[in-house]
Amino acid sequence: MSGSFGSLSFGILPWLIAAWLFAVGLYGIVSSRNYVHLIGCLAVCQSATYVLLLAIGLHRGAGPPIFYDHPPGTRAVDPVVQALVLTDIVVGAAVTALLLAIALQVQKRRGSVDPQALRPLRPTQ
Amino acid sequence: MTLPATLLPVAVLLPLGVALWLLAIAHWLPPRIADWTAVAVAAAVALLCAWLARAGLTGPVVQWFGDWTPASSGRPGVVLGISFVADPASAAVAAFAALLFAAALVFAWSRFDDTRSHFQVLMLLFLAAIVGFCLTADLFNLFVWFELMSIAAFALTAYPLGKSSLEGAFNFIITNALASFWMLAGVGLLYARTGTLDMATMGRAVAQLHHDPVLLGGFCLVSVALLTKAAILPLHLWLSDAHAVAPTPVSVVFSGVMVSLGLFGLAKLVAQVFLPSAELTALVHGLLCWLGVATALIAGLMTWAQRHLKRLLAFSTIAHMGVMLIGLSAATPAGFAALLLYLFGHGLVKSVLFMVAGILLALCASADELALYRRGRTRVPAGVAMIGAALLLAGLPIGLLHGADQLITASQPSTLVRVATVLATSLTGAAVLRAAARIFLGWSGAPGAEITAPTEREHEKSQASLWLMLAPCFVLLALALLPERMLAPFLGQAAAGLFAPLHPSALQLSPPALPHESALEQFTPLILAAVLVGAALARRRSTAPLARALVGIETGAFRVLQYVHSGLVADYVAWMVVGLAVFGIAVGESR
Repeated sequence: MSGSFGSLSFGILPWLIAAWLFAVGLYGIVSSRNYVHLIGCLAVCQSATYVLLLAIGLHRGAGPPIFYDHPPGTRAVDPVVQALVLTDIVVGAAVTALLLAIALQVQKRRGSVDPQALRPLRPTQ
Repeated sequence: MTLPATLLPVAVLLPLGVALWLLAIAHWLPPRIADWTAVAVAAAVALLCAWLARAGLTGPVVQWFGDWTPASSGRPGVVLGISFVADPASAAVAAFAALLFAAALVFAWSRFDDTRSHFQVLMLLFLAAIVGFCLTADLFNLFVWFELMSIAAFALTAYPLGKSSLEGAFNFIITNALASFWMLAGVGLLYARTGTLDMATMGRAVAQLHHDPVLLGGFCLVSVALLTKAAILPLHLWLSDAHAVAPTPVSVVFSGVMVSLGLFGLAKLVAQVFLPSAELTALVHGLLCWLGVATALIAGLMTWAQRHLKRLLAFSTIAHMGVMLIGLSAATPAGFAALLLYLFGHGLVKSVLFMVAGILLALCASADELALYRRGRTRVPAGVAMIGAALLLAGLPIGLLHGADQLITASQPSTLVRVATVLATSLTGAAVLRAAARIFLGWSGAPGAEITAPTEREHEKSQASLWLMLAPCFVLLALALLPERMLAPFLGQAAAGLFAPLHPSALQLSPPALPHESALEQFTPLILAAVLVGAALARRRSTAPLARALVGIETGAFRVLQYVHSGLVADYVAWMVVGLAVFGIAVGESR
């Protein structure tokens, strides 16, 4: 349970991967010309968070946190962060489903899913 | 276990359970039953939470789920369980939220009959999430309620399935989903350094850390996420879209309580987790105060330059969030008492105004200040409610909002803060008064910067009688007029309780004292607002070259502001990254 400093044993690599994934996802969101593509980019950003969380719980040489066939006290990765990731995957699925449903409705009503062409209230002039 | 502690989870389980049942059996029920049930549940939650707040004054009301108390882990300092703690402030905020939900549900009576009670189900889910967010004492649990709250809010925004509401909801979801990723990452970083998710234990661990970059990173990410929810510059851009396009009863709870909950959550975290660290305290005092001032000023100006009533009210909400953030940045019991009072006062006044906008949308099929010119003259009660609430917003020296304004300026005694709160109060109040004068009194004047603002033709249908829509409006207005002294003793204790929810008696409990102000000081915002409204209504088309040059400068300046609020999700995300960068730079400077 003392999963505090696990990330240090793997050095800076997981942090860099998380930052890179997040940057790539953000670039995709900002430059996207299609709602569905944009939703995909959002999912990339989300996975950056998961990499970060899993990295926090990692220990070099530690096994999975299941003590069915190990004696309790064996070195294991931190199960708390894995529980956090699992919870957020569920939430993320709900958000993505909602977004895709909205993209579908926007296509039906406006005939376009280009975020650069759509805005909620239009200026009058 | 005491009775309040036993009943504590009911405040969340009741709306959640009833929502599930409604969803399952609504097909066979007459539509009125869903309305009645939802209002009754919201009222019951309000009463329960108010009772919990009172019980919390005498001692901590704590529920450890599954009896996983800190003692049960067998190791000192290791907390395995998750708890709900009803400290007086949290329970009072939950009760206030439930009250606003009850009012909004009465206002929405029979409005959504064609959707088989899905509206009521989503509203109850939303309420359950808000109550959970207020009561939880576990950081990850807080995040989960935050997410649940967001998802219910997303669905409610997109609910009318109109063109604008879909696009507004899309912007809302993308920005808030990004914010919640940051929050999760921040929670992870804080966990990495402290080894716990329980807020009180985390605070003790933070006190042991010095110059820790991971802790600073966690603070940045969590704060930016909560400030996105609270619509603080430059993370505020989603709010004007979402609040303008959501159905009116939903806008009522968005502006009344959801947005300010972001700040309330941050206040709780500051009090319990971040204050033990000197570095973080310095950031809260400095950075957050500056952001509050900037938000109050910019959003105040944007409010003045709007013509779509709901969008105008949305910008006014942003400006008031800025003022609340100034109170938060004091990070003292007095500042938090001011924050709580402001939350109540602002929530009540803003709900009344959104309801009037909803009544106009239903009766006159528009929410555009210029299109509605003179069309409200026969709607006297709605006009009375709007002008009354607008005067309170503009700083009329009675009622909760005015008391809160005074407390905030007293908690941060600096000229800059004073100027920012006065300007935000008068600009937002003046904008609403100008709209009310045009719609209900038939006064006008040539439109200024507001003419170029975004607007829309739209209509909300409602079969409810006018009086059923006006009744919650006037009840909330009457509550907003309560004298501030009635709540002050409670708020003094409640704010102190936020700092140590498990040991409330450890802190000096005293009601915050109002500063003594001269009559001129008290009326400054109102006089300024009156001058602005007068100038707007007396305005004529300019012909003289000098006047035209001045108008050109004014229009140009507002055009720049309008241009930034573009409505494009790519711009919003870019500005959010700027916000995160501002936090990063401030953290770098502080080390």
